[in-house]
Parts: sequence; C-alpha cells; structure tokens
Amino acid sequence: MSDIKTLIIAELEKIIAAKGEACPDIVGETRFLQDLPMDSLDLATLLVTLELETGKDPFRDGFKGFQTLNELSALYQAA
Amino acid sequence: MKFIIVTGVSRGLGLGLTKALLSSGYKVAGCSRSRSDALNELEMSNDNFKWFPCEVGDATQTQTFVSDACQWAQAPLWGLINNAGIAKEGVLATFPNVDSDELLQINLNGALYMAREALRMMLRQNSGGRIINISSIIGSRGYTGLAAYSASKAGLDGLSRALARENGRRGITVNSVAPGYLDTEMSSTLSDSKRAQIINRTPLGRLGTVDDVAPAIEFLLSDGAAFITGQTLTIDGGITN
Repeated sequence: MSDIKTLIIAELEKIIAAKGEACPDIVGETRFLQDLPMDSLDLATLLVTLELETGKDPFRDGFKGFQTLNELSALYQAA
Repeated sequence: MKFIIVTGVSRGLGLGLTKALLSSGYKVAGCSRSRSDALNELEMSNDNFKWFPCEVGDATQTQTFVSDACQWAQAPLWGLINNAGIAKEGVLATFPNVDSDELLQINLNGALYMAREALRMMLRQNSGGRIINISSIIGSRGYTGLAAYSASKAGLDGLSRALARENGRRGITVNSVAPGYLDTEMSSTLSDSKRAQIINRTPLGRLGTVDDVAPAIEFLLSDGAAFITGQTLTIDGGITN
C-alpha cells in the first residue's frame, strides 16, 4: 500500500474514533461519505490535515471531484 | 488562557476590543496593515499580545498570519474577531469601481479568507470555537453615500448565517455584532450637523463607544453564548428600533 494511502487511512481512523464511531475496514474502493461514518466537515478536516502532513494541496487551482480512497490518493500522488 | 485573533487592531474598535480582551485574560494576536504607537505600547506592556502585519484582503497574507499567530500562541485557537474594514463615501453613480473593489476585498473577502483559515484550525482542533464578524447597522438599513460599505456589511451578516449552519455540528458558533454610530476615528469625518442629527435620533441620546460594544463581543466569546449562532447582535443605542 502506498504511503499516502496509509496516511489517509490513519487520519480517517483518528477522525472516526474522535466521533466515538466504529471504523469499518477501509479499502481502495471505500467511499468516504457513503461507506464511512463521516460528514462533509470530517472530510474537510481530513483534507486540511493531509495538506499539513504532505505539504501538497491538489485543490489549489480548484476543487477536483473524488469519492474513494483510491481516487483521493491519486490526486495527492499527482500533485 | 483562551487564544483569540483580532483583525484591524491599529485603532478604534479593534484596538479598544484588544485591550478589553487582554484585561479579561485572553491571549490575543492582532493584525493590521501597519503598526501604530498604541500597538507598540501594548506589545511592550503585555506578553499576551502580539501584533502581526497583514492585509486581510490578500489570501496569502491571511494564511501566513493565522499560521504564525497560532505558532506564537502555542494554544488552540478559540476565537476570531473579523473587525478589519475601511469606509469610503460617495454616491454610487460617481463612485470609482476601483474603490468599490478595494472596499469589498478588504471588508468582505478579507473576513471570508480569515474565517477560512480560522476554521481550518478549529476543525483540526475539534474543540469548538467562536467567529464574530463586526458588521454594522448600515448593512441592514443602508445609508446614502455608503452603498459599497453597506453591501460589504450585509455580506458579513450572510457569511455569519451560512458559516453558523455549516460549522454548528462542531461546536463552532458564528455571529455578527452590528454597532451603530460609534465615537471613533471612523466617525470623525461626520459633520457637526450630521452628528447632532444622529444623536437626536438615538433613543439613548449619544454616539456609542468601544466600551458599549466590547462587552457584547466578550459575551459571544464566552461559554454562556454556546447556544447562540447565526445571529446579528445590534448595539446602536436604539436608533434602528
């Protein structure tokens, strides 16, 4: 598994644990808002954290759509 | 000690509010475009205050300011007071577009940029927070010769309502405080007759002062205001009553 995927999963687990929710198994095709106990603010928190951790902001020039762990990882790998 | 960021601290309400917050035990980082003697004195006499240069209408500068301020404070960011603003007068038909652009960039976009940076901190901290936008009764009532200013302040009220809905689930409240006519440098350009007219129309019979507004802001920062969000608190001596 790539470093960025490992980082995203670790941050997701922290965010979900902070809400007191159980975190299901996360795989590449896991959809953030449909398959995990997350809302849009949780997703925003994830992206802010990833920017700080990686120094990359794939959305600097405008928002790019993504739904799954694989899709978000690809955006960071391309940034 | 709770940490607050205040914009537009060089004079007037921003300076007075900063002093009041420091007296109440808050740690404060303030910004303005330039330093003033009053800021120098405040920084020299109080370890819990630090001034940073920042033009809030510049998104890159707001990112740097919030990041540097939080690093200085070494504490979670509890509150943001969006106070920075300018006023320019003139009927719109002859008001230069560049002046409207500058005013809206500072008064409205500046507040939006600052709120964005503060929310990024607050969401990560996950411990709630407060954002207070300093609006004006002119935002809801309008005023001849202040179309751009009025639009910017009405925009701040809308910003407060939208952000209140968006961030309420995380215990972050967002409100506006709308002062009436204050006895500050900003109102010093009023003619004597206009000043007298305003006082005459104000049920409490005077212009407001910083001391009339600061306690309301402190209340909105307090735990007692935890269930108040998306509101505009008018402090105007009753003139819009």
